[in-house]
Amino acid sequence: MNEFKISFRENGKIHVMELRGYLDAHTAPNLEEAFQKLIKEKKFHILVNCKDLAYISSAGLGVFMAFIEDIRAGGGDIKMSNMSPKVFNIFDLLGFPMLYEIFTDEHDAVKKFDAKKQATK
Amino acid sequence: MKIRKLLLLFGSILLFAAVFVFDATMKSLDADLGSFYIIRGIVIIIAFILITLYIEMGWKESQPTMIQRIGRVAAWAGLFVGLSVIISVLRVGDFETRAFRLFPRDYITILFSAVLSIAGGIVAAITILNIKDMLLYKRKKGTSRNFWILMIFFFLASAATIDLRPLEPSVYTTVFFVLSVVMIIVNSFRLSWIAYLSRREKIYGMVYALLAFFAFMAINILLSISDKPFLSNALLYFSYPLHSFVQLTSLFGAVYFGMAFISTLFHLPTAEAFDRKQTELSSLHNLSRLITQVFDLDELAGTVIKMTFEVCEASSSWLEIFPNEAEGKTGHGETGIVSQQNISTEEIQTILFGDPLSIRSLVFSSKKVLLIDDARNDRRTKYMTKLKKVGSLLVVPLISHQNIIGILYATKEMDFGFDQDDIEVLSGFADQVTIAIENATLIQRSLEKERLQRELMLAQEMQKRLLPQNLPTFPNVDMRAVSAPALEVGGDYYDIAMLDDRRVGIVIGDVSGKGVGAAFYMAEMKGIFQSLSKLSFSPKNFLVKANESLFSSIDKHSFISLIYAILDVATGELVLSRAGHCPMLYATPSSIEYIKPSGMGLGLSTGVKFENSLEEKRIMMQQGDVCVFYTDGVTESRSASGEEFGYERLVQVVEEHRHRSAEEIKEEIIQRVWSYTDAHGYDDDLTIFVVKWNGISH
Repeated sequence: MNEFKISFRENGKIHVMELRGYLDAHTAPNLEEAFQKLIKEKKFHILVNCKDLAYISSAGLGVFMAFIEDIRAGGGDIKMSNMSPKVFNIFDLLGFPMLYEIFTDEHDAVKKFDAKKQATK
Repeated sequence: MKIRKLLLLFGSILLFAAVFVFDATMKSLDADLGSFYIIRGIVIIIAFILITLYIEMGWKESQPTMIQRIGRVAAWAGLFVGLSVIISVLRVGDFETRAFRLFPRDYITILFSAVLSIAGGIVAAITILNIKDMLLYKRKKGTSRNFWILMIFFFLASAATIDLRPLEPSVYTTVFFVLSVVMIIVNSFRLSWIAYLSRREKIYGMVYALLAFFAFMAINILLSISDKPFLSNALLYFSYPLHSFVQLTSLFGAVYFGMAFISTLFHLPTAEAFDRKQTELSSLHNLSRLITQVFDLDELAGTVIKMTFEVCEASSSWLEIFPNEAEGKTGHGETGIVSQQNISTEEIQTILFGDPLSIRSLVFSSKKVLLIDDARNDRRTKYMTKLKKVGSLLVVPLISHQNIIGILYATKEMDFGFDQDDIEVLSGFADQVTIAIENATLIQRSLEKERLQRELMLAQEMQKRLLPQNLPTFPNVDMRAVSAPALEVGGDYYDIAMLDDRRVGIVIGDVSGKGVGAAFYMAEMKGIFQSLSKLSFSPKNFLVKANESLFSSIDKHSFISLIYAILDVATGELVLSRAGHCPMLYATPSSIEYIKPSGMGLGLSTGVKFENSLEEKRIMMQQGDVCVFYTDGVTESRSASGEEFGYERLVQVVEEHRHRSAEEIKEEIIQRVWSYTDAHGYDDDLTIFVVKWNGISH
């Protein structure tokens, strides 16, 4: 069984989720739980760092789709960063870059969040 | 068997008749044929042996209880005493005594002495046979031996008198008589059957044993007092050995039943406890049998409550079961009463919820048995004092995996009504019910699993039927497709439709997720494709319309990736749009590349955003050109080391075989993927659709 792990940390005001391993139909519920937890705590500014994400299946992609509406309605966003080319290809095939902001580096993503916050203030 | 029985009966009757005739003849001749008396004695002994065998054969057919046996023996002995007393009182016969010899006064005397003697012999036989079965109950090593030694002494004591004249004393007889008495005493301690009688049976047994004791004492006295009554003389006249045998038997009967009476009397105080243990044992036995047979919890609960009543003599009892696990953990739920007896639901409500710190909540926090000895004065039950009928209370939790899944309650009107035994028995019941509930849950689960498996099979079947059974054939184009479903139900879909007389719509897609849900969306997709594809010759238009109809019905985290191509079979023009699906692989004889028009998956977004994401590509196929459509089951197949098959390997295999037929190309791809994944297998569906343009025929 391929492993999948999620770790949480804060980067300034941004809640960073680091994904590690294989995200498929078996492990997707873990990610669902993680999003639910953040939403419950009203933490809507979420950055998903995919540095160690080895694989994502359609079930894994579906998790992002399930929560994006609620998070955007809460004034936040899900942004992604640090994808390996292979993982990016999966996101790209499905057209995710047209729905989500995907950054090569976490730093850029955080900056983008901050800029947005400044603008709304 | 029947014939043997009849032979025995007639044989003995015949022998007795012969003896009677002999006696009557002797009387009329007034003769004394000394040596004939031994033969007469032997004949009588044989006759009695026959009659004993006859009785024993009848015996084996019925299986009387111990109490029935004592009752029978007492009745026979009593009847015999009554008969001999009546005959004595009526003075219908009499004997003269001359030189140790008895002479009957008349023929009636001969008849009555024969009748009495035969009756005495039969009563003795019945007594011995019954006592034998009682002695040998739960036999130990020497039991059987002791009995047969007694019988031998009986026989010897009796047989020793065979050549004696009546009234003539003998040393041998006395010796064997004394030995017999010793063995009677030894055998009379075999009373193990008493322990297994219920209290009720013991009381009956005592009465019968006492009656039997008195009857045998009476026989014994009648046979041995010196001023011989008629009974004694009649037996002595008829057969001296019989007289000895009946006398020994009556002595045996008196001692044995006397012992039985006393022994039962001493057993009586413990009879109740014994009864109770017996009931407990049989209740637990019944319960465990019920568990394997009954998966109806209500019935089981009813039985448990009934048994609680029987065993503990409770004045009310009820059982709560919590089907909901969460409820079982906290105890703040509705009552889960499944069975109750002698108590109303309102009363139970008062006991369970009358106080925030009710006995129910106490048991929930301690998870231990709670016994309230004096409910009217205990501070823990103060809140329920208005329920006058509760004097003492026993609460037993049903615990499974550290959780309380139910509670068994019993109350008594008396205070201090429950003892340690009650606690143990109710705990035993609680355990049994717990097992039953767990069993029922497990069965429920396996049924559920089976149902899911059936559902999955159905979905698989449905999915197979959604795929085209045959592809149309055209002179210019060679098309081949294959779809290998994964072990589970997958979401792969491909289809083909004639849009008009020269244009063919080819679609290949993948529904996110697996299982029944995926199969359902796939069916929807097929409906959409078959109805919308004919409305437009633009793949992009089709995808926009398909997304519109799909977006409202598909759930948020599901989507469908699709590639749609329209091929003009007359010209070789191929127009395609891609909605998030794997790019098409396009190989000409000299080049090979992935065609990847932009576009997002169906169901991800809607309106302008979706429409603007879509591109349309147009290709004019030339002779020998190959298009390969596929699902991610091909590129994401993994080797044993976890590496994906990927896009490069797909290019390689198509490049190598592009000059071959569509069928061969398709086979090569599938073989390459399978040999790559090897025994590792794939956990996704795999679909391949190959189109080869053979050039415009003229």
